[in-house]
Amino acid sequence: MAVTDMSEDPTKARTSPRIAPFLSQGAKWGAKAGLPLISFAFILGIWALVGASGMVKEAIFPAPWSVWSATVEMWQNGTLQTDLAKSLGRAGVGFGIGATLGVALGLLTGRVALVRTLLNPFLNLLRPIPAIALVPVAIVWFGIGEGSKYFVVSYTVFLTVWFNTHHGMEYVPETYLRASRSLGASRMREFLTVVLPAAAPHIFAGIRLGVALAFLSLVAAELSGASSGIGFRLQEARQYVRTDRMFSLLIILGILGAVADLIVHAIGKKLVHWEQG
Amino acid sequence: MAEDLMTDTHKTDTQKGRVEIDDVVIRFKGRQGPVTALARTSHVLEPGTFTALIGPSGCGKSTLMNAIAGFVKPSEGSLRLDGKPIAGPSPEVGVIFQQYALFPWFTALNNVRYGLKQFGLPQREEIDRARAALAEVGLEAHADKYPQQLSGGMKQRVAIARTFAVGPKVLLMDEPFGALDAQTRLVMHELLLNIWRKHRATVLFVTHDVDEALLLSDHVQVMSQAPGRLIRHYHLTQQRPRAFSRSGSDLLEIRDEILDLLHPKTDLADSL
Repeated sequence: MAVTDMSEDPTKARTSPRIAPFLSQGAKWGAKAGLPLISFAFILGIWALVGASGMVKEAIFPAPWSVWSATVEMWQNGTLQTDLAKSLGRAGVGFGIGATLGVALGLLTGRVALVRTLLNPFLNLLRPIPAIALVPVAIVWFGIGEGSKYFVVSYTVFLTVWFNTHHGMEYVPETYLRASRSLGASRMREFLTVVLPAAAPHIFAGIRLGVALAFLSLVAAELSGASSGIGFRLQEARQYVRTDRMFSLLIILGILGAVADLIVHAIGKKLVHWEQG
Repeated sequence: MAEDLMTDTHKTDTQKGRVEIDDVVIRFKGRQGPVTALARTSHVLEPGTFTALIGPSGCGKSTLMNAIAGFVKPSEGSLRLDGKPIAGPSPEVGVIFQQYALFPWFTALNNVRYGLKQFGLPQREEIDRARAALAEVGLEAHADKYPQQLSGGMKQRVAIARTFAVGPKVLLMDEPFGALDAQTRLVMHELLLNIWRKHRATVLFVTHDVDEALLLSDHVQVMSQAPGRLIRHYHLTQQRPRAFSRSGSDLLEIRDEILDLLHPKTDLADSL
């Protein structure tokens, strides 16, 4: 009796009929990984051309090789390493605190009506306040040390992760809960093995956003009242009009953010494996 | 197939499953005040019987089913299972949903195990029982696949295995095969009847497919347009497996009658 509905194997991956004949599976992966490189090479080429033409002053718009040597310079005198370590530490700690609190409180407001009534309007009021506006308050409260950076980053990450977690909890399909209850599951087991996984895609979307916002708010916090870190170094480069260093630091920030995003995305894909397609 | 004769004489069985629907009315809050989804209804589902509930869409047949499942509270009247009021969802009343409601983060096997957890079995036994339940629906080879990797018919078979594994006294099915193609549906009918014969739960099968109702059930209850109430009852004693071609003309006559009830001739003439 199994014959009728097994004629088509739903596990088989769909391949685009137009591309499939021309590219083998391996070549397709190669093309996928190579596409961003083409884009980078293209932009770098134009940048190099502009730099070599001498049309723009180096102090305004430095050529790629100047940026490269500025990077090497910062690496050799050791500031780049300490700045990276400081900034990553702040982003990491801030993100850790913010994401943990965000998920925990999101689960609570999503599940417990009393907590939701007490907190949701207030939290929604906080959400539009940009991280940078918080920096002065953070400095008054925590000084210009690490405390104020942790506070600004974790606050920003917290709100985003809370918001997404809360909404993930709201959209747990009713039929899952009905099925769970008529199968005799306890509320605890239902929460851990039905509600949490059902909300997990939203929670991960929030965490991914949180990672991006961690870097954003970190630089905001470091631009004023810091004596190390990528954000501080950017500020310092402005005082000496070192555009080459600024470019270098901005590119590093971009790479850091992209790598962090890739890592979180990969972890999310592993954990929420049922959400593909 | 002797069980067709047993249906009304089997009330003394230890595994009961008698559903009493007593003066039940269900209203929902609408934009312009309360809307009656189910008009006053009284009925008894005898243990071990297979009843099809058929009616036009939106007539309240799913609402009645949801009330028996304990998902919806009646506004008036009471619902009882073997004399006890139905207070909420319970494993005594199994439910099969049209959209399967399998948990996509669990494999087929773990979906079945989810219901078995309440018994606190040793892990070995729990797995064995879940495998046996999957074998009953012919899916032992697919135990470790995730729902997304299964076809619609296979998903519904996992759902049936998951529900029967818990040993419900009553089985509610809300258009369970509505999303499947005609051929798969025939296979599922046979599978469902086979499993039902073994487990003997009281079945309430909601459908809008007249043929499906006539092929499967002991009793067919026809519901009116919204607000729904039961307007016609047929007791079918034909042997299963049934087919319209084989079993004489009486099934065809009943079918025409029900179709007339559901789509009065005037409507049909207008639409032509």
